[in-house]
Amino acid sequence: MTTMRAVAVGCGMAALLWAQQFKFNLDHLASKASDSVDVSLNKDMLQFAGKFLSGKDPDEAKAKALIGGLEGIYIKSFEFNKDGAWSQADLDQVRNQLRAPEWGRIVGVKSTEENENVEVWVRNEAGKVSGIAILATDPRSFTVANIVGNVSLDSLADLGGQFGLPKVKTAPTPAPAPAPAKKREP
Amino acid sequence: MDWLEQELKNALSRKEPLEGFDERVAAAARRPRVVAMPARRWLAAAAAVIVLVGAGEGYRWHRGEVAKQQVMLAMRITGEKLSFVQARIAGEGQ
Repeated sequence: MTTMRAVAVGCGMAALLWAQQFKFNLDHLASKASDSVDVSLNKDMLQFAGKFLSGKDPDEAKAKALIGGLEGIYIKSFEFNKDGAWSQADLDQVRNQLRAPEWGRIVGVKSTEENENVEVWVRNEAGKVSGIAILATDPRSFTVANIVGNVSLDSLADLGGQFGLPKVKTAPTPAPAPAPAKKREP
Repeated sequence: MDWLEQELKNALSRKEPLEGFDERVAAAARRPRVVAMPARRWLAAAAAVIVLVGAGEGYRWHRGEVAKQQVMLAMRITGEKLSFVQARIAGEGQ
């Protein structure tokens, strides 16, 4: 009976990890957090949720359109009452799984004012975006998100303008880094 | 023996059944019984079915609402982080 239960749990974990593109392993932070969010929606649940999203409400209509092409959404987000509740090792154990050639970091923003860091990683398979990872940290919060599926970067840019947030225009594709300027000879 | 005793004796005296009584009893015993379900039972069964279907539908609706709230929460969190990134990139570009 115990063996069967272990096999069932193992199969469940395997199914979850198959859908999720990298492991989170952040459960130890939940006990320290003052507020935590755990979203785990596979394709079936997304389709099911889609039936309950209204086409009339603009936010829900946008969400409904976005989840249409997704295979899953997995998010763990923690907020803490004091600084230093999470360690660099927590961030590294997630970041180390986002390896080339599948994963590539498209943007990393470090804010010294708000002490907030956000990294956006994209997973490419056969020339198509098959997933996105977002790592966002500040001294009192830790968020990891994995959006699985063929998400276009345009949709992601649109996402930033929804839910009462101001839309900020960005370039459609990241421009290659300019070559360092040659110093002029005096 | 008074008249009452005589009346009782006559009423309770053994009488031979009509011809074919045995066959009729045997045939009646062989016939399948049709038990009519009282209306009250039908109502109780219908109410039970309605409650079960309603509970199932209610549970499905609850799960759908929870899933919807999770999707909206996920979109809000993701949107916030991406908006932060976009704002920083736009700020850098200016």
